[in-house]
Amino acid sequence: MTTAAQALVGASTEFLKRFSPFDQMEPEALDFLGERLQLGHFAKGTTILSPDMGQPRHFFIIQRGKVQASQAGSVAVTEYASMTLGPGECFPIGAISAGRPTTNNYVALEDSFCYQLPARDFMELMRISPEFHVFCTQYIASLLNQSRLQLQTTFSQRAAEQQTMTTPLGHLIKHDPVFVTPDTPTRSALEIMAEQRIGCMVVVDGDHHPVGILTQSDLLPRVVLPEFDLSRPISEVMTSKPHVLSVAATAYDAALEMATHAVRHLLVVDSRERLKGVVSERDLFTLQRIGLRQIRASIEGAEDIEALQRASQDIRQLALNLIAQGIGAEQLTRFISALNDALTRRIITLELGRHDLHGIAFSWIAFGSEGRHEQTLSTDQDNGIVYAAGDADKTEIKRKLLAFAKDVNNALAACGFPLCKGNIMASNPELCLTLEEWQQRFGAWIREPDPQALLNASIFFDFRVLYGNERIGDELRHWLLKAARNNSTFLRMMAHNALQVAPPLGRIRDFVVEDDGMIDLKKSGARLFVDVARILSLRSDVESSSTVQRLRISGQKSGMPDDEIDAMVEGFHFIQLLRLRAQHLDTEHDEPGDNKINPDQLNELDRRILKEAFRQARKLQLRLKLDYQL
Amino acid sequence: MNWLTKIFSGDHPAASLPEALRGRLERWRVLEAPALDANHGELRYVIVNTEATGLDPANDRLLAVAAIGIDRGVLAHRDAFEMSLDTPAQTLVALLEFIGKSPVVVFNADLNRQALMAAFETHLGFEPDLEWLDLYWLLPCLFNDKHDRPVRLKDWMKTMAVETFQRHRALGDAFAIAKLFLAAQSRATIRGLRTPRSLMELATTRKRQQRAIRS
Repeated sequence: MTTAAQALVGASTEFLKRFSPFDQMEPEALDFLGERLQLGHFAKGTTILSPDMGQPRHFFIIQRGKVQASQAGSVAVTEYASMTLGPGECFPIGAISAGRPTTNNYVALEDSFCYQLPARDFMELMRISPEFHVFCTQYIASLLNQSRLQLQTTFSQRAAEQQTMTTPLGHLIKHDPVFVTPDTPTRSALEIMAEQRIGCMVVVDGDHHPVGILTQSDLLPRVVLPEFDLSRPISEVMTSKPHVLSVAATAYDAALEMATHAVRHLLVVDSRERLKGVVSERDLFTLQRIGLRQIRASIEGAEDIEALQRASQDIRQLALNLIAQGIGAEQLTRFISALNDALTRRIITLELGRHDLHGIAFSWIAFGSEGRHEQTLSTDQDNGIVYAAGDADKTEIKRKLLAFAKDVNNALAACGFPLCKGNIMASNPELCLTLEEWQQRFGAWIREPDPQALLNASIFFDFRVLYGNERIGDELRHWLLKAARNNSTFLRMMAHNALQVAPPLGRIRDFVVEDDGMIDLKKSGARLFVDVARILSLRSDVESSSTVQRLRISGQKSGMPDDEIDAMVEGFHFIQLLRLRAQHLDTEHDEPGDNKINPDQLNELDRRILKEAFRQARKLQLRLKLDYQL
Repeated sequence: MNWLTKIFSGDHPAASLPEALRGRLERWRVLEAPALDANHGELRYVIVNTEATGLDPANDRLLAVAAIGIDRGVLAHRDAFEMSLDTPAQTLVALLEFIGKSPVVVFNADLNRQALMAAFETHLGFEPDLEWLDLYWLLPCLFNDKHDRPVRLKDWMKTMAVETFQRHRALGDAFAIAKLFLAAQSRATIRGLRTPRSLMELATTRKRQQRAIRS
């Protein structure tokens, strides 16, 4: 170092020493910092750092001026929505330590001089200066604390709003849908839009199935600028394969769907895929405030597995906060499932970019708890693929799909969904099948039921399409319901299996516990409801794969009083809630202890409710016993 | 006639330059100059400031010279230079090496540039062909909201809240000028003046106008 350089270093370290943590910093660390600092200038109003700049390349210390830090997302994760930083204050700390984009926008409020330290030198400084290290880690810890408290207050304030999040879309539709057929001249469609003042026009086929959509924002690029001939049919300018959700899907699903695909309108269809209405972003606008944009940003903007790993951590963190806040189990499990869906879809999208599956029709299917929308924080992956192929190219297509599935399975594992111990994964050649092969597989279970085989196969009956052509999944479901409904031997054996585990209710003591004094809420709790609900749905032609929906719909079909149905559903929810409470962020997935609780450690109220929940399970089992005379 | 032959013939001061210095000068001479149409963020400017026995370049002696690099928009502490003129030829060659062919930024070229050029001529026997940018004229163009005519360094420092560790010394003032230049760079960028050429033209035009008003 020249003496001139030393003089400049000295000038800046003199300045830094007026502020914490530099006033306490070890002399050699301070020199290290001074030697590597660069001075920059930011004119008033310019952005110094923002989330879209990616990983921060510099750590900034304000030398003169004012910088405003404001939250980029829609939900405040810290106690400030925006704050002003002045001389001696630094940013970003969390983002640069973690090597992730910042969540704030940093803008110069006035002409400002900022020292900047290259990211790798920041890391080195953390390493060589215990003082600086403590400063940064404490800062991050306080941020986390702030964010936790903040989330709790945020969510408690919005408890009422939260309730609306589970509103089925069927209830959100305000008026009958306006639609035209594909051959309608574009001009007529636009005239209707103008006349009715609607933001989009739906195009349906003869069976009322939506086949396309044209929104106001499509008009400029597709109609006006290309000078599209308005006498041509609307089918030539519409977006085909519009995003569709069922009437039973919730506002949560809709908001997430919009967020994930960046669309403003969703078409709502009934169980036969007929158009029921349109839900717009504005209908859900209150939901925009619950941080979906943030979650979307983290999931949708993820360009690699590392980013998704962080998103998955964020989901867990948020879920834990919600538990602490006392959110209901149904909302929470749906919430987790919905976000995990988005995460899985993003992984699939990323992997599709690396595998050439062009021209291959396939669907990614979730089984088990994910198939039922009932994921907790401790879930390993259960998935498969349905694909279409002619005999000629089948081997090659399957080879490609398996390679792709293997990468998706590994990516999911990297994001916290451990590989399935039972190998129920799409990368297993036995579970990457054509529609016909799946039908054969289900057909074998149904026609020649074997108790042990059925026990293992039960999770396959709780499936839904996560990615790809939903029709394939629906087709399989219709076929399956039909095949199961007419086969009483199969249903009876399923019932027999479902009754193998009794609720842990004691005759003398409240609960029958395992040797370690614990109750396994998955094995002897939730599963009891799930198994019965599955049989009821197969028997009474209920398409939903969710336990609660299955109980409700099949209960209604068999004439059960509403209050009895409610009691069953509540029982199931309470057990799910206790499970969630028992799961911790710091335990690995599917640890044996994950679903266990010690009933002696529950408070009196919870004990009573749990007892009642088990009684509801017993009631359900009893019905099954009577129905099948087991 | 090649400039070296011209310099090293007869009783020219440069004829007595040691071989090593001559070699270094030659290496400097063949350096490539940056494009004046590059963006500020793509090149290095060098702030140069002199310290003399007085304010009259014709009669006063240079005591020291300092320089600070502004490389791709930022000032790195390591990129700094200061030497006394005790061994003038050594110092001036080292200064040229530090500058390279970067545009030179000064505050008050009348004083600094003249003093330096005289010294180059005296001790090295030639005037190096460098690009100059004078903040004395440039700052009032960019910050006309603060001062709409040229003012002293002290006044700019006060207005722009710029401090330095030592006034009236080569490096201390160079540091203040460097900070002013950083500010000028961001203001210029906002106004769409993104290249050294655009800044030089602005400063030169301003200077000419001022002279025309006076005459």
